Amino acid sequence: MSDVQIKKFVVTRFDPDKDEVPRTDTFEVPCQSDWMVLDALNFIKDQLDGSLSYRWSCRMAVCGSCGMNVDGAPTLTCKSPLSSYGDTVEVTPLSNFPVIRDLVVELDGFMEKLKAVKPWIIRAKEKAVEEGPYRQSPEELEDFKQFSLCINCMLCYAACPVVGNEPDFIGPAAIALGYRYNLDSRDEGASERNAIFRGEGSVYSCSFANECSEVCPENVDPAAAINQAKLSGLVDWAASLVLPRGGKD
Amino acid sequence: MKQLLIVLEPVIWFMFGQGIMIGTILLTGWLIVVGVGVPMGIFPADALAYERMHMLGSNVIGRVVLLGLIVLPLWKGAHHLRSLAVDFGGGDRDAIVGSLLYLIAIVGSLLGIVAVIRL
Ligand code: FES
Repeated sequence: MSDVQIKKFVVTRFDPDKDEVPRTDTFEVPCQSDWMVLDALNFIKDQLDGSLSYRWSCRMAVCGSCGMNVDGAPTLTCKSPLSSYGDTVEVTPLSNFPVIRDLVVELDGFMEKLKAVKPWIIRAKEKAVEEGPYRQSPEELEDFKQFSLCINCMLCYAACPVVGNEPDFIGPAAIALGYRYNLDSRDEGASERNAIFRGEGSVYSCSFANECSEVCPENVDPAAAINQAKLSGLVDWAASLVLPRGGKD
Repeated sequence: MKQLLIVLEPVIWFMFGQGIMIGTILLTGWLIVVGVGVPMGIFPADALAYERMHMLGSNVIGRVVLLGLIVLPLWKGAHHLRSLAVDFGGGDRDAIVGSLLYLIAIVGSLLGIVAVIRL
């Protein structure tokens, strides 16, 4: 049986039917030494206040749904041991997103941005099935694998100062997930995506604060994707000025 | 105006990026020479003598270096000030503030080109 320590949880509450502005509730939780932040929230929900709303699913840093601000920092709560926090832990919803209820934020804006960067393989002409699969070497896979590990947890959007200032900014995760296809040897849609990266809410809005990569729980390094996308957008733009067919594949 | 800035953003970012390079590498070296090396006698006192500087400006490579030193930091400064304006004042006037700052960088760059050519 592991040691139990009482910790105080100051949690943001917001009920759109009753509250004009968010408020806080404080709960005392007997925490076991091996608990993650999410375990304490589950204790609150199960034992103290069943109305507390928050998202979670896998409990193993895969689904990306349990992102919240813990003591002000965007955190994947199922991956963050309570032992690294003090006696009082503050849990608030992720910044830079509208709040639906308590700790649950609205993700529609991100979903639209993600769709806009076309995160799928684009081919000028699809191969016929009889021609077999699109083969890819381990080296070619390595080119983009890191950027494909994003779990859409939205910590990077909560941490990004540019997203806070310019809500139109495509943002770290969507750029990383779009740029991942630019690096995919099977893809032929880089020019199309680069035009989107250069458009409204462009990659060039990024001021390279690097906060996205700092908070990323999967070490995707979205800041690297954004800066590579800047360069590739520039090269593509310059090529479109001098090459026939606007430099398209 | 906003649309024009969006279209030109790749070039602006390129000039800004080069400005950062120059700002951090060349200007740091310049400050070390002018601010520390010469006053402390590490470099000869005549390192920055008129004749030597003039010689630097009278061959093509020297002129290109001088032009880079003058022009690129202007773009770095303009872009940083634009970001600062957004940080402090929000994005509402970004198009006008950005255009104005880049206009200053363009005018400064043209003056720099003329000055270096006339060396
Ligand atoms: S619960 Fe799935 S990532 Fe935390």
